[in-house]
Amino acid sequence: MASRDEMKVAAGAPRIVIDNVSISYATPRGRLLAVDRVSLAVDRAEFVVLVGPSGCGKSTILRAIAGLNAAESGVISVDGKRVDGPPEHIGFMFQRDTLLPWLTVRGNVEVGLELAGVAPARRPARLADLLALLRLSEFHDAYPAQLSGGMRHRVSLGRMLAYQPAVMLMDEPFGALDFQTKAAMGRELLRIWETERRSILFVTHDIEEAVALADRVLVFSPRPARIVAEHRIDLPRPRNLRRLRTDPAFTAYTSAIWEALGDGDPVTA
Amino acid sequence: MTEPAASDEMIPPGGPGSEKPIASGNSLSVWLWRTGLIVALLLVWEFSAGNLFNEFWSSRPSLIGERLLALFANGEIWRHLGATVSEALLGLLLGALAGTPIGIALAKYRRAAEIVDPFVMGLYGLPRVALAPMFILWFGISLLAKVMMSFSMVVFVFILNVTEGIRTVDPDMVDLMRTMRAPKSYVLRKVTIPSIVPWLLASFRIGVGLSLVGAVVGELIGANRGLGWYVLRAGGQLDTTGVFTGLFVLMLVAMIANQIIFLIERQVLHWRPATR
Repeated sequence: MASRDEMKVAAGAPRIVIDNVSISYATPRGRLLAVDRVSLAVDRAEFVVLVGPSGCGKSTILRAIAGLNAAESGVISVDGKRVDGPPEHIGFMFQRDTLLPWLTVRGNVEVGLELAGVAPARRPARLADLLALLRLSEFHDAYPAQLSGGMRHRVSLGRMLAYQPAVMLMDEPFGALDFQTKAAMGRELLRIWETERRSILFVTHDIEEAVALADRVLVFSPRPARIVAEHRIDLPRPRNLRRLRTDPAFTAYTSAIWEALGDGDPVTA
Repeated sequence: MTEPAASDEMIPPGGPGSEKPIASGNSLSVWLWRTGLIVALLLVWEFSAGNLFNEFWSSRPSLIGERLLALFANGEIWRHLGATVSEALLGLLLGALAGTPIGIALAKYRRAAEIVDPFVMGLYGLPRVALAPMFILWFGISLLAKVMMSFSMVVFVFILNVTEGIRTVDPDMVDLMRTMRAPKSYVLRKVTIPSIVPWLLASFRIGVGLSLVGAVVGELIGANRGLGWYVLRAGGQLDTTGVFTGLFVLMLVAMIANQIIFLIERQVLHWRPATR
């Protein structure tokens, strides 16, 4: 599953570059600044997590990279191409699973294959691989309404992987799940990512989740979003999430990030 | 059209199918109670007519049964049944064919929808039965007059429900498709159309009854056949048995049509968690 455009950009060039980007929304009470002059870069195969209080504008940044909203000023580019409209090879995951309820698990994952332009003859094999990877093989004929929340998120992840994205943008993808399922999905994501590295930009307000997953954590202020701290997480991979929790290095990172978040306005969880 | 008039032509705010089912219909005891109730009512009717009051006013079930058999035996029923059913069916289909694209357009072009909203609601609020004399004038006592009557009853159901259905399409689903650079036609096929199918089916369910109303009203004003005409003529001849026989057949038609829609819904919407 090598990404199709591995050759396009010189190795070492960042996959995503955001340069001095501001974004604001029209609201009934005038314009509201959501993102304030943010700059960041994500390398190929890098796992970057954005943490910050809920509603601070992290999601807005993700949506702008995906071409769903426009940046008001500044430049966003993916693979060296300036973003206006959804760029190629982007996978997006919302907090809600956004599965199509009228399609089975198979049908939903096939959406990714179809839109990636996988030839019909090659789809069944790819589909079987993906369902096995996500431990969904037994449920391929089930409809989303028949699945648990965790399984629906696995299908949603499967649909994104089927699309073979070079960049995965994940907007609090496990935020709606209970604690255990969330941890399981985190392990699942790491397992898949560690075998097949792509760029991931992952938004969360859960600090432990952030440190457990990330190569690098960017800490945002309350709205308007500005980067207030950056932490490179030098924990060895593959990571064992259960053992990590008691690792002193892990707790040092989480408390440092707590501290960074605590600056300025009170954090609204 | 953000606040549609409360009416039984609209679907509850939770979306089609969110209303409480009136009866599950599959439990044996429900069926036993139903049968018992019907039998009891028919018996009371049968034996009170002629004893408690003159059967001229109410006829009686046995006479209605006899009339029904006679109508089927001499084949006369088919002329009336065929007329009414084809008027209602054509009206329903035309209503769906015209109402669905109008509904889609109104949901898509908000500005245009805002402009025409009072006109649509005005026509919708107009008792369309009152249009019947005009329709007879324009289309004569032909089939077309009744089809148009039926159409005018049904088309608004489709317009209003399809508009509402499209507005409830999940924007996150559409955004997700956009991030994967899905062509517009793909989004239409995979997201928009499946989202409005439940609203279309609910419109058909509501439309079946209304299209029959339209057909019968058309027949009451001017016709030479059809179940409505049969009822009218029987009434004019003080033939209560004939009136009740016509009403009974109409009721049967409505029930069968409802059942057909129900079966189609169950087939098409099998992906939904059991709502009934």
